[in-house]
Amino acid sequence: MSKFSGKTFIVARHEFLKTILRKEFLFMTFVFPLFIAAITIIPSLLSSTTAAEDQRVGYIDMTGSFDFPKSLTSEGFSAGPMEAKTSIIEFVRYEESSEARKALESGQISSYLIVPENFIKTGEIELYASEKGASVPDFELSAELSNIAIDSLLKDNVDEAVLQRVKDPVNLKLYNIGDNGESSEQGMAEILADFGLPFITAFLLFFSIFSASGYLLRGVAEEKENRIMEVLLSSATPVELLTGKIMGLGTVGLLQIAVWLSAIILAGGYALPVKIEPMLLFLALIYFLLGFLFFSSMMAGIGAVTGSLQESQQVAGIFTFAAAFPLIFMQLIITKPDSPLVVFLSLFPFTSSVTMLSRIGASEVPFYQVAASLFILFVSIHAVIIISSRLFRVYLLMYGKRPGVKEIMRSIREAGR
Amino acid sequence: MHVLEFEGVSKSFAEKNVIRDVSFSVEQGEIFGLLGPNGAGKTTLIRLLLDIIKPDSGEIRVFGGPLTADGKNRIGYLPEERGLYRKTKLMDMLVYLAQLKNVPKKEAQTNAEVLLKSLELYEHRGKRVEELSKGMQQKIQFLSSILHNPELIILDEPFSGLDPVSTKTIKARILEYRNEGRTVILSTHMMEQAQKLCDRILMLNKGQRVLYGTVAGIRKEHGKNSLFVEFADKGSLNVIGEIPGIKRVAEHEGSVEIFPEDGISTQEVLQELIRKTEILRFEQMLPSLNDIFIETVESASGE
Repeated sequence: MSKFSGKTFIVARHEFLKTILRKEFLFMTFVFPLFIAAITIIPSLLSSTTAAEDQRVGYIDMTGSFDFPKSLTSEGFSAGPMEAKTSIIEFVRYEESSEARKALESGQISSYLIVPENFIKTGEIELYASEKGASVPDFELSAELSNIAIDSLLKDNVDEAVLQRVKDPVNLKLYNIGDNGESSEQGMAEILADFGLPFITAFLLFFSIFSASGYLLRGVAEEKENRIMEVLLSSATPVELLTGKIMGLGTVGLLQIAVWLSAIILAGGYALPVKIEPMLLFLALIYFLLGFLFFSSMMAGIGAVTGSLQESQQVAGIFTFAAAFPLIFMQLIITKPDSPLVVFLSLFPFTSSVTMLSRIGASEVPFYQVAASLFILFVSIHAVIIISSRLFRVYLLMYGKRPGVKEIMRSIREAGR
Repeated sequence: MHVLEFEGVSKSFAEKNVIRDVSFSVEQGEIFGLLGPNGAGKTTLIRLLLDIIKPDSGEIRVFGGPLTADGKNRIGYLPEERGLYRKTKLMDMLVYLAQLKNVPKKEAQTNAEVLLKSLELYEHRGKRVEELSKGMQQKIQFLSSILHNPELIILDEPFSGLDPVSTKTIKARILEYRNEGRTVILSTHMMEQAQKLCDRILMLNKGQRVLYGTVAGIRKEHGKNSLFVEFADKGSLNVIGEIPGIKRVAEHEGSVEIFPEDGISTQEVLQELIRKTEILRFEQMLPSLNDIFIETVESASGE
């Protein structure tokens, strides 16, 4: 019984071509990342264009103690690493609110402020803007006004250094004490890499494993349901069919994850200040392959035992839920990557690929744990393939009532004899 | 040469015997009928021979030995439960199924085109299976089982769901293949077709072999050994009484059925009759396969 006969390749090629031409696959692979990219990029593009206009703002100071500068440069808010757009706000003084209103109506100014007499008590400043036309976003103006207020109230009473401290009271810096006792400063980019990347890779891994093994489940259940299985089995052995399907759909999954990863790398250079390490990529591929082999052979067994597509998806759902555990515990995995539960999840074959990859992304993982998780996964795959090909042989041509757990256990033992 | 041999084969599922100690062989170049009521074990027997399931005991030899991968490529199979990829294009599916029988892609395409033309389905080659009528799907399925020029063709209920014209086409094909020296195993309920087409048959009942041999031989064996005679002159009936060794005479409309005594053949009786009177028509009565089928199954269930 040669495992990689010509028929295995014929089955693999057929499954590969059939799947990549499916609409669902094309959508998931190409439209999905575009959609995600659109969500992350468009808002930053939008925000960088709105506040770019120069503005004239009028003011009436009823306290008489405010010291408005003639103009100030406001830094526009932007999510991306692109150069922040700046706009100039020019302040124009008015004595009466009626004057300011006239100027607003004639379009000389875009809005005006009134600092009431009891400002010291209430801290309120009123902003009037016309309904039409762009005005300065108030959250920006509020920050600028705070600075102006602090300047006006304290300028001659305290040192310049104190003045600056009042404007920007606390600047928290985070230090991580590593295993070797050295402390390292954690910048914004690293925090993003530590929390965002593990989550994204885990999520993608989960999705690609389950879309690929989902195709396998659907394929087997359909072939069983529409009775073509008997024709296939008269031409090829169950092992040839099983390995051919797994190879074909595994290639589909690899293609999908490659498209997604290159999309992330492309987008990463643009929108996310994240560097992806080649080692992590390599491990991602290894864990994809093993995780896919594990789940797809299990799905094939489920597809063989159950009677219809619907039923098989219900049964498979139970296992998918188990595999989604790491996504539920993601916060724990990232914040406490060495806690016993997380270590267990990264060794347990149902959850190990997603968990371990997230852990590697989040922190240093001892080599022996990676090796152990790979080893356990490897042994489990072997067991699952043996069990599934036995179930394949026994149940592929049985229709009607789904066998009970006891009966399935007996067939697994008997088929091994 | 034996294309197929079963020797004392048994198979049971969950303590239920489906095949019990069945032995038979199929010769090259014959149409071999596999008959039996529903649940007799015909489909299980076919799956055993295709090595889809393994026997509990006994030996199965295909092309002279255990079924090899190469052997599978020389077999064409039309299962009773018809199945095709519903959403795949006709041509792609046929080529894929032929490739699984180790036919190179190019050759598979040419063969498929020729066969589609001969079954008048060529214009549908780009369609999906679900767009075809049931009858066309049946023909496509038959076509897919012969696409790779198999030496042994196994057809499980090939005529079910076919209109008379298609039935005739398929029947002609089956005979054509037999004349080319290929072997056909035909599993069917349709006794009339089996009687016309098959050279030899195996009848199963409850997993056991109940009849096995040539169609002619079985019919003779189950014959009641009687003679139908139609006389030119009704008065000739009295002549029968003059002939010795006649057990009983039954009168039908316009003819009589003569039952000779045990040990006397119908031929002897006929010779005597011809010498004595004028005979318009005579017929050696043989039961149809259908009668034998019903009789055998009923007597088995009456036990």
